[in-house]
Amino acid sequence: MLTARQIDPTAPLKIALMSCAHTHAVGYAGLLEARADVDLVVADPDGYGDVRGVRVLPSYDAAWDAWPEGPDAIVVTSANAHHKDLVLEAARRGVHVLCEKPLATTLADAGAMVEACRDAGVVLMTAFPVHFAPEVTALRAAISDGSLGEVVGLTGTNNGKLPAGRDWFTDVELAGGGAMVDHTVHIAEILDSVFGPPATVHAVTNRILYAERAGEGAETGGLVTLTYDSGLIATIDCSWSQPADAPTWGGLRLQALGTGGQLQIDAFAQHVGGHDQWLPYGTNTDALLLDAFLDAVRAGEAVDPTGEVGLRTVAVVAAAQESVRTGQPVAVAEV
Amino acid sequence: MNPSAIPDADAQQEAPRPLRVGIVGTGGISRAHLPGWTELGAQLHCFSLSGAEEFAAETGAVLHSTLEELLAAVDVVDVCTPTPEHPGVVRAALDAGKDVICEKPLALTGEEARELAEHAERVGRRLFPAHVVRYFPQYAAAKRAVDTGAVGELAVLRFERTGSLPDRSWYADEELSGGIVMDQMIHDIDQALWLAGPVSSVYAQQSVASSDAAVSTAHVVLTHRSGAISHCRGFWGPQGTRFRYTFELAGDGGLLQYDSAGDPGIVFDEVASARRGSGDGFLPDVSTLRDPYAAEIVEFAAALSTGAPTRVDAADGVAAVEISRAALESLRTGRSIAC
Repeated sequence: MLTARQIDPTAPLKIALMSCAHTHAVGYAGLLEARADVDLVVADPDGYGDVRGVRVLPSYDAAWDAWPEGPDAIVVTSANAHHKDLVLEAARRGVHVLCEKPLATTLADAGAMVEACRDAGVVLMTAFPVHFAPEVTALRAAISDGSLGEVVGLTGTNNGKLPAGRDWFTDVELAGGGAMVDHTVHIAEILDSVFGPPATVHAVTNRILYAERAGEGAETGGLVTLTYDSGLIATIDCSWSQPADAPTWGGLRLQALGTGGQLQIDAFAQHVGGHDQWLPYGTNTDALLLDAFLDAVRAGEAVDPTGEVGLRTVAVVAAAQESVRTGQPVAVAEV
Repeated sequence: MNPSAIPDADAQQEAPRPLRVGIVGTGGISRAHLPGWTELGAQLHCFSLSGAEEFAAETGAVLHSTLEELLAAVDVVDVCTPTPEHPGVVRAALDAGKDVICEKPLALTGEEARELAEHAERVGRRLFPAHVVRYFPQYAAAKRAVDTGAVGELAVLRFERTGSLPDRSWYADEELSGGIVMDQMIHDIDQALWLAGPVSSVYAQQSVASSDAAVSTAHVVLTHRSGAISHCRGFWGPQGTRFRYTFELAGDGGLLQYDSAGDPGIVFDEVASARRGSGDGFLPDVSTLRDPYAAEIVEFAAALSTGAPTRVDAADGVAAVEISRAALESLRTGRSIAC
């Protein structure tokens, strides 16, 4: 068993951003490059070429070898199906990891990744930026401090356009599925952070929206219903139902209903509008996520959203996929 | 069906005598039906096991002491009783040769609802289930847009309905009202059927607060034969909950959204609102709309004289009950139910 490398508290953290396949790579690279406490390299083995103004290397090997002792941590922004190899390699090298969501395309892969990082003593966190949105923080607070009384139900919507510019997002092999894989996990993570894992999952999907552009077999619409042992029920609309010509990519809303009243949050509501205008001014949650990760690397201990919650949200998706196959609700403990 | 089906003032003047309507059951919803009958200049008759005297005093309706007496005196019957009484009153009215408007749900079981529709067919009378939401202009506008292809092929539909548990005790008894699914959500189940067509499977979950049985929510997921999927979310909230209804219809050619909590055109600030009363949370505030309850009564009455189809008919009422029953079956078994 290897142990995580010691972090020199006086030196910049050596971070390798692995792959530019995910559209978030550009944003993470910009935020990391701007920090004085980070020394960044970016691996772009697929040659996307749109992460600029930073030290871009043509292969993963070059990124692993960018420093004599290797990186302190990596940020994994590859296609979903490639997360596992990068994370297992990081664990082997004793390198900390922030991995894009969904953590993996199969429950087995996600489990192996969490186990390897745990055994290696490295930090593994899952990139759920919306975890840090002040609206989500307000929701967690209102539920935990009893403002909403006894919560009986929630409805979440994480709708967006079909991801553009990166075809792998709708390639079932590389992404693990379509909208249900892409968009269920954000709200599943928020619910997990308040209520823990659900007991059962039921899901229905279709591919009517963006049918010509989505990869073969990728669902573009979906409704995922969760039940909890407490009796609580929740449904997530994970559809890519934002029209292509809408002024913004989509959004994330959650509504909680309790004996003490209702709360609805919209994590992307903050914007200046106008005809066909959408100027977001809300909190940069990517920056908060990176802050939390870098602090966790220095402390040697993961904080939420951890790899474990990433694994539990992959379990929700796996149960949802099984439910689509069988047409019946599926117990999460049995996937 | 279309605005021309609504009779104009001239047509009313040509009528030999006013339409005589017998309102059976004089609780909350009968008051919502009144403006429509008033607009038609109908002569009101009423019979109810309780509250009929007050209703007659309020409205000038002719009070009848038995259902038989009422049936003998009217042209059309408007059934506003608690749901369990619907089938008996509807059958009696049909057997007396009357056309019938019946509040939703038509009956508590699909079999009984279907039997009522067949009964009407057999005796050659019309049976109109009062699915009033089809007459709310927001839903009617969405339906027209969907039918003309404005959003392409429908894919994912979401409906929300929020209110508080009606304050009459029979609503709280699931045996009598069918609970939140059969009483409140049936409106949105009907909308889903109207907009996206027949359903092949139903999955439902419900949660009743353990600390306050008046607070409950239900989620129903419908898979339509077209491939579209619908989510209906009902909520009976704590006391003071404002009535609210929303929908979002996503198709491959666009998106339609409505939220009754959005700007209705008249907005009092908090200071002004505090000086005014608010609604009871049981029925929506329709004061800024063409009254949908009146619109449905007027359309039904017009259809009786013209024989024209109405935008909701007995078969629709049966389908709404059948799908709602499938949802209750799903609640009971925890399974998805094939339809």
